[in-house]
Amino acid sequence: MRNKITSVIAALGTAAIMSASANAGTLDDVKKRGALRCVVSTGVAGFAYPDKSGVWKGFDIDFCRATAAAVLGDAKKIKAVTSTGKTRFTKLNSGEGDVLWRNTTITFSRDVGVKLRFHGVNYYDGQGFMVNKKLGVKSAKDLGGASVCIQTGTTTELNLADYFHEHGMKYEAVTIETNDEARQNYMSGRCDVYTTDASGLAATRSTFPDPQNHIILPEIISKEPLGPATRHGDDQWSDIITWVYYATVTAEELGVTSANVDKMKSSKNPEILRMLGVEGNQGEELGLNKDWAYQIIKQVGNYGEIFERNIGKKTPVGLARGMNALWTKGGLQYSPPFR
Amino acid sequence: MAEATETYKVGQHPDLPPPRSEVGVIGWVKYNLLSTPFNVIMTLLAIWFLWSIIPPIFEWAVLDSVWTAESRKACWAKMEVPEGAACWAFIKDRIGLFIYGFYPADLRWRVNLSFVLMVLAIVSVLYENMPGRKFGLWYAVAFPFITGWLLVGGLGLTHVDTDQFGGIMLTFIIGITGISFSLPIGILLALGRRSKLPVIRVLCVLIIEFIRGVPLIALLFIASTMLNYFLPPGTAFDLLLRVLIMVTVFSSAYIAEVIRGGLQGIPNGQYEAADSLGLTYTKAHLLIILPQALKISIPGIVNTFIGLYKDTTLVLIIGMLDPLGVGRASLADAVWAGLAREVYIFVAVFFFICCFSMSRYSLWLEKRLSTEN
Amino acid sequence: MIEKLKPEPAIQSSKDASKIIIEITGMHKWFGAFHVLKNINLKVSTGERIVICGPSGSGKSTLIRCINRLEEHQEGKIVVDDVELTGDLKNIEIIRSEVGIVFQQFNLFPHLTVLENCSLAPIWVRNMAKAEAEDLALKYLERVQIPEQAKKYPGQLSGGQQQRVAIARSLCMNPKIMLFDEPTSALDPEMIKEVLDVMVELAETGVTMLVVTHEMGFATAVADRVIFMDEGEIIEQKPPNEFFQNPEHDRTKLFLSQILAH
Repeated sequence: MRNKITSVIAALGTAAIMSASANAGTLDDVKKRGALRCVVSTGVAGFAYPDKSGVWKGFDIDFCRATAAAVLGDAKKIKAVTSTGKTRFTKLNSGEGDVLWRNTTITFSRDVGVKLRFHGVNYYDGQGFMVNKKLGVKSAKDLGGASVCIQTGTTTELNLADYFHEHGMKYEAVTIETNDEARQNYMSGRCDVYTTDASGLAATRSTFPDPQNHIILPEIISKEPLGPATRHGDDQWSDIITWVYYATVTAEELGVTSANVDKMKSSKNPEILRMLGVEGNQGEELGLNKDWAYQIIKQVGNYGEIFERNIGKKTPVGLARGMNALWTKGGLQYSPPFR
Repeated sequence: MAEATETYKVGQHPDLPPPRSEVGVIGWVKYNLLSTPFNVIMTLLAIWFLWSIIPPIFEWAVLDSVWTAESRKACWAKMEVPEGAACWAFIKDRIGLFIYGFYPADLRWRVNLSFVLMVLAIVSVLYENMPGRKFGLWYAVAFPFITGWLLVGGLGLTHVDTDQFGGIMLTFIIGITGISFSLPIGILLALGRRSKLPVIRVLCVLIIEFIRGVPLIALLFIASTMLNYFLPPGTAFDLLLRVLIMVTVFSSAYIAEVIRGGLQGIPNGQYEAADSLGLTYTKAHLLIILPQALKISIPGIVNTFIGLYKDTTLVLIIGMLDPLGVGRASLADAVWAGLAREVYIFVAVFFFICCFSMSRYSLWLEKRLSTEN
Repeated sequence: MIEKLKPEPAIQSSKDASKIIIEITGMHKWFGAFHVLKNINLKVSTGERIVICGPSGSGKSTLIRCINRLEEHQEGKIVVDDVELTGDLKNIEIIRSEVGIVFQQFNLFPHLTVLENCSLAPIWVRNMAKAEAEDLALKYLERVQIPEQAKKYPGQLSGGQQQRVAIARSLCMNPKIMLFDEPTSALDPEMIKEVLDVMVELAETGVTMLVVTHEMGFATAVADRVIFMDEGEIIEQKPPNEFFQNPEHDRTKLFLSQILAH
């Protein structure tokens, strides 16, 4: 009996060790498998959604494709591992996904507690308010006494309570479960105000028959830095994800686009040459091919292109660059140099 | 009132038809709808209620609805009032996703073939008078393996990851697998629970009570998250397979209890008669006890199955996209966002058709098996 | 008055007409703490017809149900056709195919036709071919005089017809012993006669019968021995005329006075 117990413990121990050490080889796993598995959401307007042939598109998806272009040379070699808010981290940590590109806010508890590694912020979001223009409200400070559609059990709810308390205002909470419910309630007038992340507000507004009659108030009352995540314990993979993101930002900083990237191979700017792999061996140091960043830009585009294609002004979601503009244009997107 | 005004000799009275207003449509209306003042008021209220609800719904869903459009905006542009009617063009546009999930488009013939095979298997099992039924039953046993091969691939067919299964196809797979495997397992559990051997009995009771004590959602979470932690990553125990196992196990416990109720409803005399004829335990149960128990349990069994079938939408929680999941994901596409009503109505109608068919079949089966006069 | 019918050929030729086919010695049975059968000693020879009577609760049904082990005894010995009844499963199944029983509540299988009810055991216990079993079943249905009901379901028959089917069903297994547990007690009075007639005709063929009943006319016409039981004990056993004319014990006399009064 003792022998049985020891052997069971040994087996579990081995499994635990193996799972810990197996993490270190995500790059090799992905290369062997020939496809990159990204943990994504089940559908968030502008960020991740399937088109009619089942091909996934969106802001987060494009970054996933960029990663695939860098690692496998082909942006199409992705698999979308759909997850809900409740299952996204376990899917990543248990190995069902390689990387999480899923409008996920970076927080202390997630970084430290859930043991995720974050790699920069590919979208600075924050909680905002949307009201009908006819209410004549121009600022969130005038919202005292309003009825607010709010999803329970979220940080959104906590932020709302804090903000109103801080400004000495009262509100009537209309609790909702899903975005659809909120939309119904808001449009029928059951609630005056809808509050959620500003990107979500924009996406919802785009579905109204009369989007021009609704405004998103200027106040952003919380910090929701959204960024990709990987498991603890795989430094090489973490570096790759980090620099895939930075590559897109640097490309935009340096004016490299998918249209001119071929021409840029003969640029006079040494940083461009290093990034595109014409000079130096940054690719090899990462464990990738020389042209890893070139493939990203060529197949998917730079940060600005990705933004404009999926959530920019011309899209139904219609977001301004705002905080997500380059640091040179007054925003927060800033990449360390490729040196 | 009575028409039997003629007198007959004692012992010679013939059978006469009942008076006019007691039968037929008029009789029914008079008796059920207009018999008391209260009933008259209720009838009028009901008519008014139906009149105010049905025509607008009919207009919204059918008359004014738009079936062809390129986007939500185009759809609404075709209506008198934007969002004033149903935009079924969305469903039509996405019907491929709804039915096949993310199955590669060029391989969808395999799904279609599996569906045809499924219908054949169902008909063989459910209809006794089908010609060649013996062959049909053997086929039904082989059917899961044939379709498994068709859908997943291997041995000559290109492999398709089960991650790509979704939509109506996924619902059918989970529902039918759950239903067909949980019935025999449930029967065994029910019999085991009534066994005289304490080991078997206690084991079965524990299994049944544990499973019934845990919500299906929790089991699905366990399947999707915890199991993977215990196995080294890379030994991907296919998620769909885990879900199928959990759903089957879950349903077996409920079926076991339904059948146990049926078994209890069989008079002891049946067991005694079977025993005194010299039948062994197995033969007595297969020939005498189980046919009767299953017959009484049909309403309970079909009820459990209908519930199970609808519970398959819970896989949404673990990220698999059944029709509801596909609908919500499609709503994220900005081209069509905002048509939540159409999606939910479509999914509701789909489930209603399936579940109603199941309950109709059950009624038909009960009538057929009824050997009372 | 019960009519005696022309005797049919015997079902079995019993070579040794005086062989003891049932022997019960010192048998006791308890239901929980209730002592239902006390010190039963009984010997039944092949071909004997025995009627068991007594007030309700006296253990008559329990006694005959012990013979085919529908009930288990806790003390004493029961030997049926040279096989001792113990917990051994193999023995029990052998015994049960040699001992037929007819229940008060008929216990026909409602989901099978009359013909299927009768042919079931020959097919599945004796491994007979289906056609042969059905012929056998029809033969016995003719004997109990309802061959035209073969395709009907039990629920469509009257009580008397159902009980006759039950008798035919037991006979299809060619049993050496037939047990009857108050076969007419659940029947409407006008149907009792048809069942008793069948039982009388059966008695003429030489099969060993133990009948628990209140039908004293039947006992007089057919029984070799009448056993009176009260409170779990066998009080008296005598041939019928002696039993009815000269009961020994007071309890027997009391019982007879109650049932023969009307």
